[in-house]
Amino acid sequence: MDNKELTTIPASGTVSSKVERKVEFIQQITDLPQSYADTKIFLLPRDPWWCFAYWEVEEKTMQEIRNLYGENLQYFIRVYDVTNIDNFDGNNANKYFDIHINLDAKNWYINLPETNRSWCVDLGVKNSNGEFVTIVRSNIVIMPRFGVSLITDAQWAVLQREFERLLELSGVSMIGKGSFDIAKLMKERWEEIMAISQLPKFISSAAVPHQQFISSGFISSFAKKEQVEKKEFYLKADTELIVYGETMPDAKLYIGDREFKLTSDGKFSLRMYLSDGEKFIPIKAVSSDGTMQKEIIFVVQRKTDYKE
Amino acid sequence: MVEGYWCLVLHNHLPFVKHPEYEDFLEEDWFYEAITETYIPIISILEGLLNDNVDFRITMSLTPPLCNMMEDKLLQDRYYKKLSKLIELAEKEVWRLQGQEPFFSTAKMYEYKFKNVMQVYERYNRNLLNAYKNLLNTAKVEIITCNATHGFLPLMSSDRIRKAQIKTAVKDYEIKFGRKPKGIWLAECAYSYGIDKILKECGLQYFFVEAHGILYGEPRPKYGVFAPVYTPNGVAVFARDIETAHQVWSADVGYPGDPDYREFYRDVGYDLEYEYIKPYLHIDGIRRNIGIKYYRVTGRVGLDKKEPYVPQWALNKAAQHAGNFMFNREHQIRYLKNIFDREPIVVSMYDAELFGHWWFEGPDFINFLFRKIHYDQNIFKAILPTEYLDKYPKNQILQPTSSSWGDKGYFEVWLNGCNDWIYKHLHKCEELMCQAVDVYHQDVLSGDEFKKRVLNQLTRELFLAQSSDWAFIMTTQTMVEYAHRRTKEHISNFLRLFYQLKENRVDTNFLSWLEFKNSIFKDIDYTVFI
Repeated sequence: MDNKELTTIPASGTVSSKVERKVEFIQQITDLPQSYADTKIFLLPRDPWWCFAYWEVEEKTMQEIRNLYGENLQYFIRVYDVTNIDNFDGNNANKYFDIHINLDAKNWYINLPETNRSWCVDLGVKNSNGEFVTIVRSNIVIMPRFGVSLITDAQWAVLQREFERLLELSGVSMIGKGSFDIAKLMKERWEEIMAISQLPKFISSAAVPHQQFISSGFISSFAKKEQVEKKEFYLKADTELIVYGETMPDAKLYIGDREFKLTSDGKFSLRMYLSDGEKFIPIKAVSSDGTMQKEIIFVVQRKTDYKE
Repeated sequence: MVEGYWCLVLHNHLPFVKHPEYEDFLEEDWFYEAITETYIPIISILEGLLNDNVDFRITMSLTPPLCNMMEDKLLQDRYYKKLSKLIELAEKEVWRLQGQEPFFSTAKMYEYKFKNVMQVYERYNRNLLNAYKNLLNTAKVEIITCNATHGFLPLMSSDRIRKAQIKTAVKDYEIKFGRKPKGIWLAECAYSYGIDKILKECGLQYFFVEAHGILYGEPRPKYGVFAPVYTPNGVAVFARDIETAHQVWSADVGYPGDPDYREFYRDVGYDLEYEYIKPYLHIDGIRRNIGIKYYRVTGRVGLDKKEPYVPQWALNKAAQHAGNFMFNREHQIRYLKNIFDREPIVVSMYDAELFGHWWFEGPDFINFLFRKIHYDQNIFKAILPTEYLDKYPKNQILQPTSSSWGDKGYFEVWLNGCNDWIYKHLHKCEELMCQAVDVYHQDVLSGDEFKKRVLNQLTRELFLAQSSDWAFIMTTQTMVEYAHRRTKEHISNFLRLFYQLKENRVDTNFLSWLEFKNSIFKDIDYTVFI
């Protein structure tokens, strides 16, 4: 894994195929280890009703278990309610229940029968007498609370009726009703727009063939396309003006009264809409020390006639 | 005498995305777009308020990854180039659209805005932290930190790991702002039991939670979400007001969906002729958003039915919405004052990127709102969390519930079938990190500088892998491939470096490469794990 490989660059997310410097360590993103040779079960809370357990049992331990209890074993997770128990030892839980699992699943979402409790789980097997034997024990998880506490505070007491009103003002009915995050909101708006757009394929893939966009204006071609389809015969035409040229790369270039940026080799190109009428386009270049200048003026006229 | 207070909190965050190994990298755009559309527009507005002596207060979290990106020379220069190109396009657009209203006005608006962004950017020597430092000195703006790489604290394997994230954040803040942070934004507002103890130990005075963090706390909160409480460890907690969140976010009644506001999804990157727009696309030439948009939301219509954007209409609407928002706060606060025996505080928390990036007129809304609050009413004032705590140092003590501000209010966004596979690996790295520190710290104390470098880079790789952004992106199903890649990349970097350290065969070139590439936290200190 730690060869200094000069490898191909991973394609994901990149838009570059050129690399500025010699890069030796853009290693191919390899898959992560399947296992870490641990015997372990870990519990995480997801919300007041569910927690998530993942586990791993190393081969040596598996062999020992098979030697002791046989080949065709049934695996279980034992879920203990350990609320308010200081030194949980496997025998002093408030209560417990078992879930039959497939060991190879390697993880499990556990639905809990009660909210506002603390839980711990054992991964284990049942022997021929149906007795549960622990392989490994998890951490203890205090679940997130759900619902308003029944406990009031003498010093900060509040009447039940007032408190209900306050909960309402605090937006208690909105809890969990949806999130306020940008990514979600924007995705939803995008989906809505696409659902009602005339040409749902438009933009939905990032790479839109540019041939669709024959229109040079700000009115994109798909709007026009829709208009023209309704007619039997049509002609649409418009015109634009392109001004281009080159000067010394360090010169200052003005088109009209505005300074215009030159490319590194002194070229410039400006494209503009050409409306009916006469247009003056003065182009002026001034040398970097300000001592020399040249000017070219275009006068362009457009007149449009429509004939049936 | 005012009847209550309003506290605006903007959370500024982006994951650390920097790819020196590519000359052009798509995901770096997140940062560049946010500077152009959100960070600098908001800085400009706050500076304008200061110049005009408008009394205002705003609390902003600037996460360590964001601060580190703002300070990064490579990203600074890349942004400069990017913005220069954008200005060039805006200038061309002004030419192209001469005489064509309302497009011409919109084009001129972009040209003006982008040039203003450049002016601010240059004024602060391309390092926006300089701007935030100035704002912080005014005492009208409070800047708080966020745990190191925006890691999702409740799903980490131990308090030792959580503490390392928080200590690193506090230290980074001190280096950047020259004083200790007073408050912290917990990434995703994700709180679980015990985190308050760590905050206390790190000298942090307050943090924020989603509404039910306090509403479902124990015992019952006397003032609901309209007053802070103290956790059993003595840290103040402010909870989010849902009404103000809803007013902005709701798909039906929220402000950003107004027909006059700018439509995010109609962009010149798709609309204009290919050869014309190509120089402004990424070098792969694929059409993408560029940031110049000429259409307004219009209504619930398809993209082809959108009508032209009229800057003045949009600005008028932002002023109108600011007036409406203020009116609603006056009512809310007056009502609460009537039933309380003290002045309530209404805390409105938003992602900063909402303002400007998605809701283009959002910064104008904030501008109008603060001016109206200052000039047009005397029911309430804007306030900073510490100012409110100074007024009301005595507060109820309660245990907030574990919660987050994500969908459904708990941890499911970061723990579901799309992303649950990451925790086994993250937890393993967390375990090995502690092991490495326990074993090799003595060597470093005896002067082994090389091991110190290795331990520091292990810390960076672990922190970067822990960013909650990757799990979040996996859930939202946008740019998933990148999130997978980053998670795997940092975990495999970590493991590879760890085993090289363990087997005493660290490849110096590999270490240097990682230091160069994943360069977050220049002054990182692995002893945060001790």
